[in-house]
Amino acid sequence: MKRKIERKDWLLFALIILFALLPAIPGIRENSLTMHVILMIFLMASMSQSWNIVGGYCGQVSFGHSVFFGIGAYGAAMAVVKYGMTPWPGALAGAFLAAGIAVLISWPVFRLSGHYFAIATFAIVEIFNRLFMVWYWVGGAIGLDYSITEQGIVNFVWYQSKVGYYYGALVLLGLVFGVVRWIERHRIGYYLRAVREGQETAEALGVDSTKAKLSAMAVSAFLAALCGAFFAQYNYRVDPPMVMSLDMSMKFVLVTILGGTGTLFGPLVGAAVLVPLQEYSRAFLGGLGGGVDLIIFGLLIILVVVKQPKGVVGIFSYLRRRMVERESVGKEND
Amino acid sequence: MNKVSSRRFLAVFAVVVLLVGTLAGAGFAEEKVIKIGTLFPLTGPVATAGQRCRAAVETAVEVINNSYPNMNIPLAAQEGILGGHKIVLVHADHQGKPDIGKAEAERLFNQEKVYAIIGSYNSAVTKPASFVAEMQKKIFMCGCSSSAALTERGFKYFFRMAPTDKTESHEFVEFMKWMNETRGSDFKTVGIIYENTEFGKHAADEGKAAAKDAGFEVVADVPFSPGATSMNSEVQTLKAADPDVVFGACLGGDYTLWVRTMKELNWLPKAALNYCTGYQDPMITRQLGDDANYFSGGMGYAPQFAHLMPDVAPVEAIYKEKTTPSVPFDSDSIQEAVAMFILAQAIEKAGTLDYDTVAKTLHENVWDSPLSLGGKVEFAPDGQNIRARSFLTQLQDGEYTIIYPEEFMQAEPVVPMVPWDKR
Repeated sequence: MKRKIERKDWLLFALIILFALLPAIPGIRENSLTMHVILMIFLMASMSQSWNIVGGYCGQVSFGHSVFFGIGAYGAAMAVVKYGMTPWPGALAGAFLAAGIAVLISWPVFRLSGHYFAIATFAIVEIFNRLFMVWYWVGGAIGLDYSITEQGIVNFVWYQSKVGYYYGALVLLGLVFGVVRWIERHRIGYYLRAVREGQETAEALGVDSTKAKLSAMAVSAFLAALCGAFFAQYNYRVDPPMVMSLDMSMKFVLVTILGGTGTLFGPLVGAAVLVPLQEYSRAFLGGLGGGVDLIIFGLLIILVVVKQPKGVVGIFSYLRRRMVERESVGKEND
Repeated sequence: MNKVSSRRFLAVFAVVVLLVGTLAGAGFAEEKVIKIGTLFPLTGPVATAGQRCRAAVETAVEVINNSYPNMNIPLAAQEGILGGHKIVLVHADHQGKPDIGKAEAERLFNQEKVYAIIGSYNSAVTKPASFVAEMQKKIFMCGCSSSAALTERGFKYFFRMAPTDKTESHEFVEFMKWMNETRGSDFKTVGIIYENTEFGKHAADEGKAAAKDAGFEVVADVPFSPGATSMNSEVQTLKAADPDVVFGACLGGDYTLWVRTMKELNWLPKAALNYCTGYQDPMITRQLGDDANYFSGGMGYAPQFAHLMPDVAPVEAIYKEKTTPSVPFDSDSIQEAVAMFILAQAIEKAGTLDYDTVAKTLHENVWDSPLSLGGKVEFAPDGQNIRARSFLTQLQDGEYTIIYPEEFMQAEPVVPMVPWDKR
């Protein structure tokens, strides 16, 4: 069956091409804060988009995604630090392992619903955090530190310039968004949304909800793990609190909720609002101490969530609706 | 009419802004400044310690930039360095998180254009942050991060002032041997309690290695999660193993909880020797009151060392003004001030800001450092200050009292510690 290319697809293509051209703008230096902020937006958008598959489209609010993110990060770091290899096989192994573990964990946990499901995923983060803290084969509490290696795509590290990381993050963004767009249009996407709207109804209509949820979880964990591998490569280090923490899990959820859950562009919009806010407020106010940056950051989140629970994407669609209404009213008056 | 005047206003406004901006920019460019970044945990679980470290660096800069002819401190008598260059600090907060520390180090170097960074308290953050500096061939001055691994990386632009946990472990063991030989203490076994983090784990590993090398038996190895709400099972484990000496690596509030839990369970080892932790914090000591007494730990500075380091007092007076509530230097924060002083002295001596020359100067000289115990700073090729010293102190009547080495002893060590019910 041939599918029509919709406006959304064109928008995604256009955005990615636009992003690809960004580093060519002379104002953006290759190691500037702007560069860091943009690539963190890509990373954060990819992370929350991977969460969006389960949390948004399928409606299962998971606070456990930092576990999969962490497994990916450890995969890459173990390959580099422990075995002196390139991070690629480690990242891939980490991603498959994360998908496997996600399925194993989710099997029993998906029997729970609503709040109980969320609480169970909370517990899983704590379990993995503690486990990795005392598992000395993976560095335990000390973590894994990269030593200096040759720069380039093979080792996926760059020291002086961020351009390599920038395109790495962009490819990741393209991959994650591409996969989610495919899911959105594919049968599985409809299954997931059906489960979100009412599991019993969906099952009555012949949707195998367990299978749908588990496959969503596997894909979601796989992509989150790839994001984790990127994170380790970017920071030259990984330890349990950095990746497998409730703090990190909250980021997956927060960005998506802020942008708009269950929408293709929600995670990107959320990240585009949150990341600059976080990075610039820290850069300009963090030195004052006392957490002024964090206070402002918190207040803005409260404001957005209270004023528009559907997220920033919700604000856009509200504005568009208003415009359409006004136009139609105008036409009627004519 | 209205439109025209507003347009004119805008034009005038724009010209004024441009003029002021250019003039201000020119004025700033003419002033001779060297920007130095500080990177400390100003928020998060160890924010107080981070804020004190920042105040210590500010204190050093105050002394360097202004003339204090009465202070017996290098660079105090003159104003600025390199013929009148003033040091300007740019502060950054890493929240205790390695990824943020790395991003902030990059921002300080690339965006703020700082010459060097001083930081970062948490060893786990110092690692990636100093990695950024090394890659850019820029200088990173580390005051008090104690993980020995930091100076085992072969970095050329990394310098650390404080003794490492390896040095401290060695000192603990030397003290135990000395007590056995001279005081008949009969120390045989060691237990270790530590927060399960980069810092704690490292300290514990070094402690275990040092104890085993000296022929002591390690009978308890007790990690805990920092920020714990109860340490009952940890102290129970210690109590069951009943070691003669406990090495402790419990920071801040965890230290308080550990001491209180031991009191609750009515148990004490013969001696409790602490790494650079809650023990060294005068505020925590005050909170614990009498319960804090008879615990011991290595210290690079305490107000009670005044007779050994007479030149600290006037600098400390400035530091006290910069901290709220006003506190004296502690062993950690004073090292950050030392880091700033030594860097400034090296720039002054090198006569240039060229990184390689300054790094070479740092390596090749022995530096006068009245704020360091022993008065000197000298770096090994790995960047570790080999003159870093600390004394073993014991809290007696709420005062940090030197008990080892013998030639500096202020009072006889109280070993075994006075039991809880006899206090």
